[in-house]
Amino acid sequence: MAMATASSDQHRAAASETGRIEAHGWRVALVHAAPFLGMLVLALLLPLVGNDYWALIGTRMAIYWVLVSGLNLVVGFAGHLAIGYVALLTLGAYTTSVLVAGNVMPPVPVFAALPIAAVVGAIFGVIVGLPALRLRTFYFAMSTLGFATIVTQIALAWQSVTGGGVGIAGPEFPAPFNTAWGFYFLCVGIAAFTTWLSANVARSRFGRALIAVRDAEVAAEATGISKPKMLIAIFLLAGACAAVAGGLFASLQTYITPDAFTFDLSVLFFIAILIGGRGSIMGPMLGTIILTILPEIAAPLAAWSTFLYAVLLLLIVLVMPGGIAALLDFRSRRPLASNRAIVPRPAALAGIVRRSRGDKALALRGIALSFGNVKAIDGLDLDVAPGQIHGLIGPNGSGKTTTLNVISGYYAAKGGTMTLRADALPPGMPALRARHGIARTFQTPRVVGEATVLQNVMIGGTVEGRASFVEALLALPRNARDERMLAAKARALLGVVGLEGLADVRADRLQHSELRFIEIARALMLDPDFLLLDEPAAGLSGDEIDRLAELIKAVSARGTGILLVEHHADLIFDICHQITVLNLGRILAAGTPGEIRVHKEVVSAYLGG
Amino acid sequence: MLASIIAAGLASGAIYALVGVTYNTMFSTSRVMSFTAGQLAMLGGVFGSMFTLKLGMPVVAGFLLTLVCCAIIGIITEFIAVRPVLKSLDQHLYVLSTLAVALMIQQVAAIKWGTEPQPFPRLIGLGSGIWDEKFWLPVVACALTILGLEYLYRRTLVGRAFLAIAEDNFAARALGLPERNLRIASYALAGIIGGIAGFSGGELLLAFFANGALLNFYGFVPVALGGLGNNRGAIVGGLALGLFQQAANFLVGGIFSSVAVFTLFIVVLLAAPQGLFGGASARRV
Amino acid sequence: MVISRRGVLFGSAGALGAASFSFPAPAIAGSEPIRIGCLAAITGPASAPTQGFNRGVNFAVDAINGAGGVKGRKIELVMRDTQGDPSKAVNATQELISQQKVHAIWGPLNSGEALATTPIMARAKIPNIHPCVVETLIDTSKFPNAFRMAPSNSQWDDAVRNYCLNILKVRKLAVIGDTTGYGVTAVGASVAAFKKDGAEVVYQANIDATQPDMTPDMLRMKNAGTEAIVVWTVSTGMEALMFNVRAAMNWDVPFVGHPSLSSGEIAGLVEKPENWKKVYAIGYKSCSYDGSGKLPPRSEELVARLTKGNIALNDTLLWWVAGGIDVIELFAKAIEVSGSTDAQGIIAHLNTLNKYPGYFGDYTFTPAQHNGYPTDEVVMSEASTAKNGTFALAPGYS
Repeated sequence: MAMATASSDQHRAAASETGRIEAHGWRVALVHAAPFLGMLVLALLLPLVGNDYWALIGTRMAIYWVLVSGLNLVVGFAGHLAIGYVALLTLGAYTTSVLVAGNVMPPVPVFAALPIAAVVGAIFGVIVGLPALRLRTFYFAMSTLGFATIVTQIALAWQSVTGGGVGIAGPEFPAPFNTAWGFYFLCVGIAAFTTWLSANVARSRFGRALIAVRDAEVAAEATGISKPKMLIAIFLLAGACAAVAGGLFASLQTYITPDAFTFDLSVLFFIAILIGGRGSIMGPMLGTIILTILPEIAAPLAAWSTFLYAVLLLLIVLVMPGGIAALLDFRSRRPLASNRAIVPRPAALAGIVRRSRGDKALALRGIALSFGNVKAIDGLDLDVAPGQIHGLIGPNGSGKTTTLNVISGYYAAKGGTMTLRADALPPGMPALRARHGIARTFQTPRVVGEATVLQNVMIGGTVEGRASFVEALLALPRNARDERMLAAKARALLGVVGLEGLADVRADRLQHSELRFIEIARALMLDPDFLLLDEPAAGLSGDEIDRLAELIKAVSARGTGILLVEHHADLIFDICHQITVLNLGRILAAGTPGEIRVHKEVVSAYLGG
Repeated sequence: MLASIIAAGLASGAIYALVGVTYNTMFSTSRVMSFTAGQLAMLGGVFGSMFTLKLGMPVVAGFLLTLVCCAIIGIITEFIAVRPVLKSLDQHLYVLSTLAVALMIQQVAAIKWGTEPQPFPRLIGLGSGIWDEKFWLPVVACALTILGLEYLYRRTLVGRAFLAIAEDNFAARALGLPERNLRIASYALAGIIGGIAGFSGGELLLAFFANGALLNFYGFVPVALGGLGNNRGAIVGGLALGLFQQAANFLVGGIFSSVAVFTLFIVVLLAAPQGLFGGASARRV
Repeated sequence: MVISRRGVLFGSAGALGAASFSFPAPAIAGSEPIRIGCLAAITGPASAPTQGFNRGVNFAVDAINGAGGVKGRKIELVMRDTQGDPSKAVNATQELISQQKVHAIWGPLNSGEALATTPIMARAKIPNIHPCVVETLIDTSKFPNAFRMAPSNSQWDDAVRNYCLNILKVRKLAVIGDTTGYGVTAVGASVAAFKKDGAEVVYQANIDATQPDMTPDMLRMKNAGTEAIVVWTVSTGMEALMFNVRAAMNWDVPFVGHPSLSSGEIAGLVEKPENWKKVYAIGYKSCSYDGSGKLPPRSEELVARLTKGNIALNDTLLWWVAGGIDVIELFAKAIEVSGSTDAQGIIAHLNTLNKYPGYFGDYTFTPAQHNGYPTDEVVMSEASTAKNGTFALAPGYS
């Protein structure tokens, strides 16, 4: 019945939808910005109530936050446990001080020295971060720790430049920033700026991609997110922030020696983020403020301050993994309707998903792959034609999912070729599949639990964005256009899969069946030429399976070729144009549903009668 | 001169190797790298000095009591910092929880034991010069520990169960192995190995709270060099690190030797992320 | 209010000052307590000196308050634990100045802390006396408010050099330190000064304090023909290791250097007590006993007072306690003489002191010279002869 709707109606509906989203977007932006503006107002009011001491503490908070706002993207968003970031603070502090003092070249004005320090910090941010591109978490934590030690050692040894153990005077800022409050306002200003930068990244497709890499790395790769590029971009940013913070820190301290850069300070930065909550900006900001002020108001406990940080860290990990951000997230405590149903509207696809040109066919020839001595796939031929639904069935361990993984590049086949139209599809390299128009879902849904449903779907369109990282960083118009486009498309696709009512709900609050449809919506964000579905009906009710079938048919009707791995024989025989039956990594049978249904071996071995 | 560099290098290398084995022992049953490995070795020295010097116990009694205390600390770590985060291993929360416990151990040691290095007793009183017991004790302890572990893993049922769990956790559980008890046992065992490292190296490193952080790093380098979970790799890596460090100390001085060790660490990690001798790796999809 | 014989000496002057300057002040100012801020690493590494200084500081405050205070005003101490962390020290300094509104500040001792806090105190023009050895901290044009009541690094250096070159009469020296900021700086300065005096520095090194074996370094020193080893470190573990290696090598080279060479912890770290002989640590005339076991008379009097006040000396150093007392008395006297807690008055008074007889030494300050401790008071003492926080004078002094 939905098929009957005139397409012009749909276009109009889509247009008004976009308009609504834009207005909605502004309101959302304001709601998101309000707490930060509130904090800024509070910061600007501090001089009315405080003396020079509070100016100092306030300045310290602002400076630490400049560092943490950048580090937050590394730790809170990308999930890399950089424990030794005090190293970059040290680097920035010394670079600024040495440049201003003129120890290696003619003295540089402090406002020129800070940007130079930022560049140096950015470069070293990447160098320190390099191990994270290849290594496991603990290794990275250790290497940042080791780096923190040697930076101090070098500061000690390079006496002619750094002053060695006696240190070097911090830079002095010109008027009006040379008073306690003048400097305070400068630091608050810079902190506000870095907050804005990090919020821009966090709320762009780059921020979502970071979280996706953190929580669903495999799915992120399938959507075409390049982890190294992403990480290098934020290591540059975090390094620059840390180095600028270092320059300001040196000025605040008036004098820096290597022993000013304690491991405790590193722990403070790190724990502030975890107390604040991963994937949040306001949380870590509050965390930084609390941890800076805690030792001041709990002076008698000074000796135990590291111990208290440690207890706090343990409690956070064990009891409150979401941190402050989770406490403040009132929306996620509102109960969801319990009797909600997924009602997809496949007809709406036409206005949203670009019709596939339909000139490509995905062809596998002689693909072979073994794990140890086990041949997982052994000489597999498979063709998926545009606009066709190709079913892949077989008993457990017959190589169905492995085939999907070979196509998506998670496994590099040991033999055989894959071609997309006339082009060879390189083995491995999963992050390149999205650009080839291949999207997929997973046997166990891989979504980012801490992100909203809408954000999860938007992740699917990451490669569709046009704005560069710098444009996103500075919130330039092209990024805003990307965001509007991605949000509108994601909302519309949520409408298609019947989940638009849950767009702003955290994904980890959803039911299993809903996650399956979210994965499909995410995959559709790519306007895929080929869609690989790995048991999409598993765990779905009968009604839901029927709706899923309609949805899959509608997608293939737009020219997308679909490879469907499934155990529900009814679904397969209902909607597939072609079926391949695998057994022990080999093709048992291939043909139309009608042929397979009467294939003797299949019937006896698999269909059970 | 060369002899004394080799003696000191092998001695400190043996301690690093034992700390590396401590890391591996905890890793084998839980897939967790724990920041407490170095702290256990630090405690081996501190407890040893406390029991034998402060409380005047006989060396053997002090040694056994030290091992018991370290084993208990190991078990406590398992209970409060490892078990609660095992179900979400992929979030790497263990890095944070074990770091928290390590910081707590270090801070309590600093406040209760003192921030100055304190003496460790002469255990046997054998040898002098480069044959001084403080140099050969850690090496002997390391060798005996390895022999003991080999015996445990190859000749005893419990040891084989350890290996089975290290090889394939799910399969081992499916076979009905008491996975949880074995994990607790492995943390106690790690505590004991850490304690042996600290006790045998006590004369060399003294009873000093800051040894924990130091050994954490220097004990991890052999693990990174030798490959995660690979004890033989850790031993070779540890001894190599000790010799390298002493040679660097001698050739470029105290300040740059730590820079040299760190550079070696990063270069090896980037060139061979699985370590030079290979280690455990996991399937992703 | 008489707390020592010097109290009597300056009592009349104080009364005079009060009559002429503080008369117009409102009555309330007369009873308002004098607040002295103390910045020190009470906990954490390197907190031992603070424990000693604090005994003296508290003792002096109790004595003054017990005698009625300074012109009726009680002294109130505001202690802040900096834990040796410069950031904490900066916070604490500003808090003492802006929040606690202290009238004067004592400390800090740690060089990283002092370097960072001194400009802050100068900005607030708050009178400050500290014992930190770093040369650049005394600069009367940049920091006219800061006074040093202990020897500076170069004074320590002078004493060590004097002992090596003129008393031990050695020419070939090894100068070593640890890899901390202090060790690196001190070794550099010491080597330069030895070379300037024409001595031969045959070996120079910064050794990692956690280095398990000192044999290679010691062998190199011996092979280079070292006649005395000059040590600049606070790491007692490293020092004890060197003493043990020296014994194992059957080498009788003397160690000369940093006061920590005489630290009590070394007793437990050396393998045999003899290993700690022929080690000469920096000490002070006022806190050194002679062949007959006697301290200088003023110090004997102090020890008697401290013993009566149940102040333990066996686990600390007398100079720390004496220095703590002196600081409080210097501040009290300055306030008494200038008649108020006004910062300029306190600073102006301190600038007039000439051979002011403290327990630790005779202090002399002028507007152009804030290094108050006399160099000839710095001597070498035998490291292993601690007795109630004092040491035997090293051999060779007349």
